[in-house]
Amino acid sequence: MSGVPLLYYLLLSMGLFGLGLAGVIRRRNPLLMLLAVELMLNSANIALVGFARHWNNTDGQVFALVVMAVAAAEVVIGLGLVVAVFRQRLALNVDEMSSLKG
Amino acid sequence: MAEQIVFSIAAAAALVSGLFVVLVDNAFKATVALITTLVSVAVIFLLLAAPFVAVIQVIVYAGAIVVLFLFVIAYLGDRPAVGMDDPRPNYQPLAWVFATALVGLGGLMLAESNLPGLREEPRPVGDIGGPEAIGRAFIDDYIVPFEATSGVLLIAAIAAVLLAKRAVNFEGGR
Repeated sequence: MSGVPLLYYLLLSMGLFGLGLAGVIRRRNPLLMLLAVELMLNSANIALVGFARHWNNTDGQVFALVVMAVAAAEVVIGLGLVVAVFRQRLALNVDEMSSLKG
Repeated sequence: MAEQIVFSIAAAAALVSGLFVVLVDNAFKATVALITTLVSVAVIFLLLAAPFVAVIQVIVYAGAIVVLFLFVIAYLGDRPAVGMDDPRPNYQPLAWVFATALVGLGGLMLAESNLPGLREEPRPVGDIGGPEAIGRAFIDDYIVPFEATSGVLLIAAIAAVLLAKRAVNFEGGR
């Protein structure tokens, strides 16, 4: 046996997703929450690319590339919000950023 | 055999550095740990016959996204010591309880699963991960999602400019 079965890739993906979830729940700094969200997106990409190999099909990899583009857009908006909040001299704590006002 | 060794090293590196991303209290160190995770995931992609996705992972994630994070952390300074973690201490273990519960459920589901070939040696694959295969899939089958991606990126760029502009106006147009 020379290859690694799909099962282990899915277990790795699940482990990374669990870590990201724990990070999102535990952190209160939006910057660090975004880092944990990146972990979760990467774990989903591992599962997508793993299934792409399993079915000998490119579609999963195409999906993973679209996820990366969406992740890039999400980081731009998230970091823009973090900087905007910081410049208004507010604490970087998501529990305190609870009001929306233009 | 070689594939198993590389997989073990990359998976262990990804999980350990992922743990650092979640646990470390310094934002800069957490971001550097994220770089390690992203590069390990790129190695995993190489093992999964996806060289193009692996290259894009290093360029877009480790290259662009992490640099954005580091830039913002450098801009904000080392200030956010307050409010790093949840202030309610008895709420902290709950995060691990929920994450462990989710991973446990997933593991149970995988153990029960009878997907063909889940636990077996992977079958050899053709060229599914090269630039040509990916380009053909995008142009032939996924042209609409491809164009939608350009719309998403354009809207994100416009929103980032508007957010920055509003912040400058708030400070008196500096």
